[in-house]
Amino acid sequence: MRMHKWLFALSTVCALYSTATLAADPIKIGEINPFSGPLAKYGLELSRGHELAIDEINAKGGLLGRKVEMITGDATNPQQAIATVDQLANRDKVNLFSGTYMSPVSAAASDAAQRYNLLYWETIATAQELTERGLPNFVRTGPNAASYAIEAVAAINNLIAGAYGKKPGDLKIWIEHEDLSFGTSIADTLKTLLEKEGVKPIGVSAHSFKAIDLNDTVLRIKQGNPDLLIEIGYVPDGNLLLRNLRSQGYKIPGIMYLVTGDAPETLEAVGADALEGLLVVSYPRTNLPNTFSPGGDHYLAAYRAKYKQEPAATLGMTAYAGMQMLFDAVTAANSTDPDKVRAAAAKMDKPLGSYPGGYGVKFDSNFQNTRALPVVVQWQSGVPVTVFPKEAASAGVALKNFPRR
Amino acid sequence: MSSISGISNGSPAATDMQRLRRAAVHEPFGRIVGKYLFGLSLALVPFGLLFNDYYSINILTFVYLMAGLACAWNIIGGFGGQFSLAHGVFFAAGAYIPAQFYLKYGVSPWLTAPAAAAVVATAAVLISWPTFRLRGPFFAIATMALNEVAAVLANYSDSLTGGARGLLIPFKASFSHMIFVERWKYCALMFAFMALTLAVVVVIRQSRLGYYLLAVREDEDSARASGVNVLAVKLWGMGISAALTSVGGTLFAMFIRFLDPPTLLSLPDIGVKFALLSLIGGIGTVWGPVLGAFFIIPAENFIRASLGGLPGAHLVVLGLLLMLAALFLKKGIVGAAAALWRRVRATP
Amino acid sequence: MENLFTILFIGLWLGGIYGLVSIGLTLIFGVIRITNFAHGEVLMVGMYGTYLAYGWLGLNPYLAVVVVVPVMFVFGVLIQRVLMQPLLDEPLMQMFASFGLLMFLQNLVLMLTRGASLGIPSSGRADNLSIAGINLSLGHVLAFVASTVIVIALHFFLRHTMMGKAIRAVTQDKRAAATMGINVNRIYRLTFGLGTAITGVASVFLTPIYTLSPSIGGDFVLAAFAVVVLGGMGSIWGAYFAGLIIGVTEAAAGFYIDPALKSAVWFLIFIIVLIVRPSGLLGTVGAEEVGLREQH
Repeated sequence: MRMHKWLFALSTVCALYSTATLAADPIKIGEINPFSGPLAKYGLELSRGHELAIDEINAKGGLLGRKVEMITGDATNPQQAIATVDQLANRDKVNLFSGTYMSPVSAAASDAAQRYNLLYWETIATAQELTERGLPNFVRTGPNAASYAIEAVAAINNLIAGAYGKKPGDLKIWIEHEDLSFGTSIADTLKTLLEKEGVKPIGVSAHSFKAIDLNDTVLRIKQGNPDLLIEIGYVPDGNLLLRNLRSQGYKIPGIMYLVTGDAPETLEAVGADALEGLLVVSYPRTNLPNTFSPGGDHYLAAYRAKYKQEPAATLGMTAYAGMQMLFDAVTAANSTDPDKVRAAAAKMDKPLGSYPGGYGVKFDSNFQNTRALPVVVQWQSGVPVTVFPKEAASAGVALKNFPRR
Repeated sequence: MSSISGISNGSPAATDMQRLRRAAVHEPFGRIVGKYLFGLSLALVPFGLLFNDYYSINILTFVYLMAGLACAWNIIGGFGGQFSLAHGVFFAAGAYIPAQFYLKYGVSPWLTAPAAAAVVATAAVLISWPTFRLRGPFFAIATMALNEVAAVLANYSDSLTGGARGLLIPFKASFSHMIFVERWKYCALMFAFMALTLAVVVVIRQSRLGYYLLAVREDEDSARASGVNVLAVKLWGMGISAALTSVGGTLFAMFIRFLDPPTLLSLPDIGVKFALLSLIGGIGTVWGPVLGAFFIIPAENFIRASLGGLPGAHLVVLGLLLMLAALFLKKGIVGAAAALWRRVRATP
Repeated sequence: MENLFTILFIGLWLGGIYGLVSIGLTLIFGVIRITNFAHGEVLMVGMYGTYLAYGWLGLNPYLAVVVVVPVMFVFGVLIQRVLMQPLLDEPLMQMFASFGLLMFLQNLVLMLTRGASLGIPSSGRADNLSIAGINLSLGHVLAFVASTVIVIALHFFLRHTMMGKAIRAVTQDKRAAATMGINVNRIYRLTFGLGTAITGVASVFLTPIYTLSPSIGGDFVLAAFAVVVLGGMGSIWGAYFAGLIIGVTEAAAGFYIDPALKSAVWFLIFIIVLIVRPSGLLGTVGAEEVGLREQH
């Protein structure tokens, strides 16, 4: 009896002590995202992905035995980013920063964070320059602009060329992109990679994503008569291009969209028939098989439970995985100091399929995760079905109606 | 000719003309310098108070910069009455040119800033020469079009502006690089810029150029009839204004160190802002633009911080404020304050 | 050469859209002499209104005209009465107020929709027409037809109705019109309402073609100003034909030069017109140099 009472008292004290230490001295992660402008819904979705990973690790006892707290700050342009970093670093005393939806904000914020010698762990922003600047506190876990190009080339080599019955070098490819930094950087990388493989695109053309009309672009493409059209843009121009293609009655044998084009708003705008067969290279979805994307269903269940709705955008899961990678790196480094975390991260070597979304971890010398690749989906009867890489495709899934005859 | 004959009958045009005449009479030099220094020291108060508040220091830095830019705009927009929406182009050029010289050849921005200002001023004069035939809204629309063309070209020309990807200036702190570790140093730099533009504004105001600019604003035809070389006056005003705006652009470039067409050439954030701040503060007055900056920029940030969660909410409020200001603060804050002062003095 | 015809047709229907969007703007500018920088946002509000009519009332978007147009008319009257009328003597403040309106409307819609991309689902079935081997979309052809019908109807209205004549009287000389017993402010309100209602028609015809976003107005407004300036501020036929010219130029530039430079090309044209013949094709010569503040 006395023994039990002692044990009970002891365990209670231990429990209280551990929760007490958990609550004391939390690890604060600053997150800077657009929460107020037109991109707010993406900033929010990103934030939710981070939050879910944080909830998970707190339930398991915290990071380095400490509770993790997220403190958000709003920024929609570089000036605001700098001011918000200053606020989070000085007033809230965050220990490190996590990633961002807009690349310009990420660039300015990470630069400002460097003044405080704080780590900037980027999970989403894709601009190439972010890792090529050589900023000593920056790490990126998610795909960058080049990743989309790399995946596109892999798809061409291993999936598409075969479907055409041609060698990749014999495919006539047209690259169409929106003319701001987003589309231009991916298009440039894609062109370079293709040429290295001996596949010279028959045309590379830019348009404004705000264009009112893309019929002239369609005519130019028609003149080039490509086998495969690759479009890199945002939702408005992506939708408009498909509509204009349809109104011109021009059926290109194969179309592949990069980054956007797999969302419900495109289905609504263009209709399942026009979308049939369209390939989209985009963030991995939550319905991938567990063998490829472990934990994807955990993310989905946790999201539904906490926010009482379906995930609003696919980038959430990539952010969630990126945050998990941060926790692993910090645990390995036993510190939040940027140099130590980067050193630990450099040693991380996890194969593809280790994290939700099918990601692995292997950072290159610029601290870009080389095992972060998007996947390829195909619109089949109004549903985006993951078709590539093979490991990501569910059983029985195959390319349909591609190329269109 | 109607406005001249209407002078002595107490109509609004008459009191304006009278005020113009009164204003043009030289104030004693000491008084001018005194007011200038007094105003500057008032503007310096927040700097002293907020020195250690990092968030607010950033906002204050921006306030000083925008105050200076609004003052520069006011020279041609307020005094001259030419509602230019092309100042974003001068700002962007002032940012890109020294940035490229720094990135490619390592030349200090302190050296390239005045050179760029001279180049931009010349370009501004050449560009605006043909557009100065236009008046009022036509001029505004033409300058707006210029801004858009510049944005498209900036996006397109990789070699000149880094194209759509923009330019990233790496952090290498040193005075000669105009890159500082401490935020307050940037704040002090912007304050110096504001002081400079204000000084130029005060000097112009007291000079013949200022008098001619105001005359052109009040009634261009009468001014021309009185022998004023209207085109030359406008060009001088535009040139000086553009030069100062260009310097502001250089400072901005070394502060943010991230330059791309959307950041520099966005009409609502840059081009229109200069005009907006001057209008709210009191267009055509010396201190109006400064007051406008001190009011609007912190307000904007404050509203955004309070309403941040709801996308767009803070700009809804700001838009509403602008409309209300247009309706009820027609002479700007300076005008409202002056009216209040008159009423206070009038009561026994 | 088949390409040339296709480009021509594309340019014409694009010009039809530009005309539709600009006729209201030029009417307001010509009569009331104010520059409404929020014109694009007015168009955008109409587009969202059309979407609502479709979503809540289940109306076919084209039929939504009967709902959207009257509402837009009232909206226009309100804007004139509340915002523009008090500022009639202060052109700078008027421009400034219209920027405030721009910010307000754009962000109000952003706030209400939370940034979701909305769009009327396409019917799925191809809505193409094929005329002489050239493919067109029905939506585009309808926009062109609407533009032509509107400008003709407006022409008759201004020429042959009492109200129209009153509007023209105020345009020519508002003081004389006032002495004739015309309530100038009432005409201004009517005109702004009419201009906004016409823009409402444009919104209805544009909604089925585009994916809506709060900033979509801005995509059209610069083109609209270019059209209005080229056509001559205040001339509705000028806006119609300038729209067609700019539409064809844009399509041709996009095809023969480079789509990325499209907007720069017609902006340059616009600037050149402003410098060489600022009154535009069909406007009153010298208007731009009077500044349109006083009437002589």
